[in-house]
Amino acid sequence: MRLFRIIALGASTLVLAGACGAGGSATPTATAASASAQPSQAAPAAASVAVQPAHPSAAASAATDTIASRLAFGGPPECPQRPFCLIGLQKVYGVTFKSFVPLDAGGPLTVAALETGKVQVGLLFTSDPSIQVDGFVLLHDDKHLQASDNIAPVIRTAVLQAHPDIAALLDEISEKLTQAQLTSLNTQVTVDKMDPSDVARAWLQQSGIVPTGGSHKGNIVVGSTNFSEQLVLAELYAQQLEANGYSVTRKFNLGSREVVQPAIQSGQIDLYPEYLASLTEYLDNGSGLATTDPAKTSAVLARLLKPKGESVLAFAPATDENGFVVTKATAQQYGLVNVSDLAKPAP
Amino acid sequence: MQVVAWLADPAHWQGTDGIPVRILEHVEASGLSVLAAAVIALPIGLAVGHSGRGAFVIGSLANLGRALPSFALLLMLIPVAVNLRLDFSTWPILGAMVLLAIPPMITNAHAGLRGVDRDLVEAARGMGMSGPQVLLRLELPLALPVILTGVRLAAVQVVATYTLGAVAGGGGLGRYIYDGFARQDTPRMLAGAGLVALLAIATDVVFELVARITAPHGLAAGERSGGMEPTGVAISGPGV
Repeated sequence: MRLFRIIALGASTLVLAGACGAGGSATPTATAASASAQPSQAAPAAASVAVQPAHPSAAASAATDTIASRLAFGGPPECPQRPFCLIGLQKVYGVTFKSFVPLDAGGPLTVAALETGKVQVGLLFTSDPSIQVDGFVLLHDDKHLQASDNIAPVIRTAVLQAHPDIAALLDEISEKLTQAQLTSLNTQVTVDKMDPSDVARAWLQQSGIVPTGGSHKGNIVVGSTNFSEQLVLAELYAQQLEANGYSVTRKFNLGSREVVQPAIQSGQIDLYPEYLASLTEYLDNGSGLATTDPAKTSAVLARLLKPKGESVLAFAPATDENGFVVTKATAQQYGLVNVSDLAKPAP
Repeated sequence: MQVVAWLADPAHWQGTDGIPVRILEHVEASGLSVLAAAVIALPIGLAVGHSGRGAFVIGSLANLGRALPSFALLLMLIPVAVNLRLDFSTWPILGAMVLLAIPPMITNAHAGLRGVDRDLVEAARGMGMSGPQVLLRLELPLALPVILTGVRLAAVQVVATYTLGAVAGGGGLGRYIYDGFARQDTPRMLAGAGLVALLAIATDVVFELVARITAPHGLAAGERSGGMEPTGVAISGPGV
């Protein structure tokens, strides 16, 4: 026992010494930079990450004197590798923030961070009623970084082939899902705090979607990513299938697209709600194939999904894009109306 | 192998998301939590152990504290912090960690004092020692190994559990685990988990050393951290 302890002690010391040695030698400047990067953060353990600009030339101008360089940005942890998030902001707008704070996907943490001034710019979804309710200013996407993010179910092709009637069942939902309807669904869940399954049930009844019946058609696994709109949409799909003779296993709130896509490719879920342009850019690594034309984007997406054994069904008129929002106070202080205003020189 | 490559990448050793900074944040916040918990828990544990009163109440509360999941505490404390205008990435996780660290410290401080041979306590009183003198000169030195074991247990738990803070936007090594999951960057996730495990082992080792240094004279090494076995222990008097 004693011998074991001594060996464990020796091993740990060696590892630690190695770690410190490597860290110390590699980062004399980085540690200094990190100390100065967050002068306003008195807190001992804030997660903000100094954003590393892709182009050194842009960094020289952006890091010193743009409005964005004075502001902290909050969004989901996957944002730094997303074409419609930090990558696109840098590439299309030349915007580099003072720091990035990993929070949640347009959820309560991002709202709280904006309200408490922890971040000045946040990522919320454009269909999120809390933008209006909390009085945030949605910056206009004047250089069209976001493309046609219409809502559409993505389904495993094998499942669709085995159950071809699913397409018609879910198309019925997409057809009736307008922007106003989507906002109403989201308001009921995030503002009125209603249960997503109750909200979905009421909507299906009101929309006059009549079940065609049938029974024992098989079991379908419906998934969703990790924000409230996805829960309502997935609930709509699930209840529609249940009303038409399918049994449904719900695997909601799985995580980001990076989690859900492998899940559907490996057959652990059969279908989930998606957004045309965001999924397109996710699959093509942000090469810009998604456009503002939903029909064209849907066709591109179908082509990208085919080798992965997935299909996209008909898209809804309703869209939900990444929206960059600031508080009214921040908007007034810096005169922010458009996203491009963030790249202007700081006053 | 990808994990090794991830760890070997110099880019992961630099900047505010670099390994040294994350380790520092992790150690800083864990240390702060354990310190705050010790300030709260040790006086309570010592008072209860010394007087023998309130043992049931304190024992029950400590057990209740252990049953509360840190994850739930963290999420429940976030709205509280937002209402109090405190940074919700920093304070809720610290609160949850303090509550996590208190029960083992109270329990061990109490058990340590209770484990001191009653005959020795009686003898000390017979020699004319006052209550505080008995506590400080006899009970505390003899119970120190058990008390330190409580601190050590708490510290290792806190180091391992502080990773939850990343869910609320906090720093530390949990960042790699949570971000790695959100981005499906498995090497990042595994590297984070490995670093946390190493840090927890290192914490354990540090407390082992502290226990060795502070072990009372006359207690053999093997008897330090186990149950108290006061038979044949010589009390070496004041100034131990």
